Amino acid sequence: MHYDVIVIGMGLSGLMAAKTAAEVGQKVLIVGKGMGSLCLFSNTIDVLGQCPEATKMRDALPQWIKNHAEHPYSKVGLERIEEALFSFASLFPPPYSFHAIDHMNCLLPTGAGTLRPTYLIPATMIGAAPFDEGHTLIVGFEGFKDFYAHFVADRLKCRGINLHLPDLFYQERSATALARLMEKKSFRENIGREIRKQLQGETGVGFPALLGMGDPIQVKEDLEEIMGTKVFEIPILPPSVPGKRIFDRFKEWLIGKGVTFLLGHPVSKATVTEKRCRVIEVHHPPVITSYSADRFILATGRFMGGGLRADVEKIFEPTFNLPVHQPPSREGWFGDSFFGDLPHPIHQAGVLVSASLQPVDERGNMLLENVWVAGSVLAHHQCIVEKSREGIEISTGYMAAKNALGNS
Amino acid sequence: MKLKTEVLVIGGGATGVGILRDLALRGIPSVLVEKGDFASGASGRNHGLLHSGGRYAVSDPEAARECISENKILRKIAPHCIEETDGLFISLPDDSLPFRDRFLRACEEAGIPSTLCSRDETLAWEPGLHPDLLSAVKVPDGAIEPFKLILENAEDAESHGAKSFLHTEVTSMLIEGDKIAGIEAKDLATGDEFSIDAEFIINATGAWANQILKLAGLRIGVALSKGSLLITNQRFAHRVINRCRPPSDGDIVVPNETVSILGTTSIRLEEVERFEVTPHEVSLLVRETSKMIPAIQGARFLRAYAGIRPLFQPEEKGNDRAISRGFALIDHGKRDGIKNLVTITGGKLMTYRLMSEKASDLICEKLGRKVPCSTHLNPLPGASKPPGSKERLQQFLADRGEVLCDCELVQRKEVEEFLGKAKLKNLQDILHRTRLAKGTCQGGFCVYRLLGALQPFTKAGEDSNKILKGFLEERWRGTRPILWGAALKEEELIESIYKGIFNL
Repeated sequence: MHYDVIVIGMGLSGLMAAKTAAEVGQKVLIVGKGMGSLCLFSNTIDVLGQCPEATKMRDALPQWIKNHAEHPYSKVGLERIEEALFSFASLFPPPYSFHAIDHMNCLLPTGAGTLRPTYLIPATMIGAAPFDEGHTLIVGFEGFKDFYAHFVADRLKCRGINLHLPDLFYQERSATALARLMEKKSFRENIGREIRKQLQGETGVGFPALLGMGDPIQVKEDLEEIMGTKVFEIPILPPSVPGKRIFDRFKEWLIGKGVTFLLGHPVSKATVTEKRCRVIEVHHPPVITSYSADRFILATGRFMGGGLRADVEKIFEPTFNLPVHQPPSREGWFGDSFFGDLPHPIHQAGVLVSASLQPVDERGNMLLENVWVAGSVLAHHQCIVEKSREGIEISTGYMAAKNALGNS
Repeated sequence: MKLKTEVLVIGGGATGVGILRDLALRGIPSVLVEKGDFASGASGRNHGLLHSGGRYAVSDPEAARECISENKILRKIAPHCIEETDGLFISLPDDSLPFRDRFLRACEEAGIPSTLCSRDETLAWEPGLHPDLLSAVKVPDGAIEPFKLILENAEDAESHGAKSFLHTEVTSMLIEGDKIAGIEAKDLATGDEFSIDAEFIINATGAWANQILKLAGLRIGVALSKGSLLITNQRFAHRVINRCRPPSDGDIVVPNETVSILGTTSIRLEEVERFEVTPHEVSLLVRETSKMIPAIQGARFLRAYAGIRPLFQPEEKGNDRAISRGFALIDHGKRDGIKNLVTITGGKLMTYRLMSEKASDLICEKLGRKVPCSTHLNPLPGASKPPGSKERLQQFLADRGEVLCDCELVQRKEVEEFLGKAKLKNLQDILHRTRLAKGTCQGGFCVYRLLGALQPFTKAGEDSNKILKGFLEERWRGTRPILWGAALKEEELIESIYKGIFNL
């Protein structure tokens, strides 16, 4: 089968690239072995959590770009970053929409009882900003082991309660199982009534981020109506229900646009001749299927996603065997302390690209003429510490597709 | 507060608790103080090998004889701490067959039952071994669980009237004439200071022996030898696999329940605090042990750790492997003119009971008591056949509850049982006593859950996130050396959770 564009990787950067290509009528295949870090870590959209407080993102980014010439943001540029974020946000019309507060980072509570800076937040979390210490109730569920209301509340200087749930069919109470339960009207009404009884004048109620999968706004509004308070979600340990919502929305939209969506199978081989990728092979046991395209976008993530791999000696890129920028030896990958002052050097490792996001070698020579690279697999960023994961994924995914289609 | 006892034991490793139990069974009142938890030093940081003595048969026949004799005793008094696996000393094409023949003779002389097995026979038992192996010698090695062994020694001692104080450090010794007249100690958790009045003091602090002796102005010759080990997330062999050659780095793989432990290195250290396993040691261990079991090359590792062997040396010697692994019982009355102080050091987990017996004999002699040792006759309190996997599964299904640790299936109620026990003072104490955080994620998920579940029990003003960060730093020491392949993915996940989602 032949496509205009094949996107390899189904995390946020791959999805953004597929969206950008599909929007201009390209015939697109997106293939991924998993759902990327979206469903693990993405609750909100970080752009640059590390930037100075009370600075508008539009003012912080140019400074960042100026100081970090090789950073993916510098390759995309302010204007295109904003375009990309707008393009992302346009996929989420109200009520479940994403917003920045005053064009700045805001601080949202987390499952460890800390406050965390982030940029675009979904409508289910907006009620937590700014966080109202004394007037918030944190609600957990007995037997749900990935969120502890008292632990969170104690640190956030408010009150926590644990709700007892009747023993249902679920031996294990997981975030996804509870999210689906929340979609049952009777279930959330019972919860709402129980909490209302236990309120002691609180005006806001924080839940772990599992207020329904498909229609969280309905869940939130129903609870707010019963309890007479505002309701918000708090990001917790993976898996991320809000991340799954983002994934589901992309999937629905892309399939609606006629994009071929191939989830669950890795690319087992890429054939390159004369600096062009011709064909990729996808392994669905017991058969291997070949797909060809004019252009390819590599958005395979870092170590967890499989975009980078490491043996005892070195880090490599498994799909095209592209050169990987990395510290000289394994001794230098990590610092002595987990929470050291400096980020671990390995986080700077990644695929080297040109200004147009095409793979290059250390001397800057173009390696593949029809391949563009997007997302966290890129070198020269530290998305965990910078708190820039989603921003990098969205903007480079968007930009890689734009460049591939020659509209830049 | 003032504490009065007949004998004060300093050090809560295998030897210290062994002495505590030995004295208690002889009816002599004694108290133990330990600055950390039980088994915090080398006693809890070894490969958990129930030695047959084979490892020392050629190089140190006396140690070999001690091992096989204690091996037989431990099987009787602590069967529940032992997995009877047997051990193989395999000869690879690079190894000398004359050494193997010397090894067989030495085993015979030391009284270690040994059988020479053919290549085919050996591979039929252990298909994971290198197919080019020449032969193997079977000996009665086994796997032993040090922590359980030590806890039960302490428990039995306490039920016979002894007392132990954990997280309590000896801070000073008052010397009057030819004896120690008083000891000052400090509870490290509360900061409370108290004095201990003991007729006799035994220093059983292993690698820390000189730190205690310094308080009395004394010093002995102890070489500190770091031994590093690696844990895999699967069990590669049913038996203990040794290389049949003179003791060297990376020549042993010990099974331990569902995992294998690869050892060891031997590196001289100057200081007893802050030691790390280096990436170089890890590479060496993987390279050497995979010569015996090739699949180790692609193994998923969980953690690296190191213990410090205190090797007693009357004079300086060069090669640590040449120093006897035997133990030293030093009577400071004879040596330094301090009548009521004895130091016991050197030795190994395997001979802890024998060391305890000899130390207790000396104390009894000094105290003028004539009571014989009985630790080789009385089984430990939990001694019984360990339940099989079928029974364990039935038990698990019967009392199924909220699981905190998905890797090792540790239930919340199992942890809560420990909380009532006053001696447990920190997170590491709980981690020591359960399988929590021992599995593939090494506590990345379950320690957050543990602290969440413990929140209602925490004292006001205690910052759980500080404890969490402390745990992650401690975990880092074990995982950092093995970060490549699949373990590196895990690292990215954990870092994304704690620095990312939780912004710690």
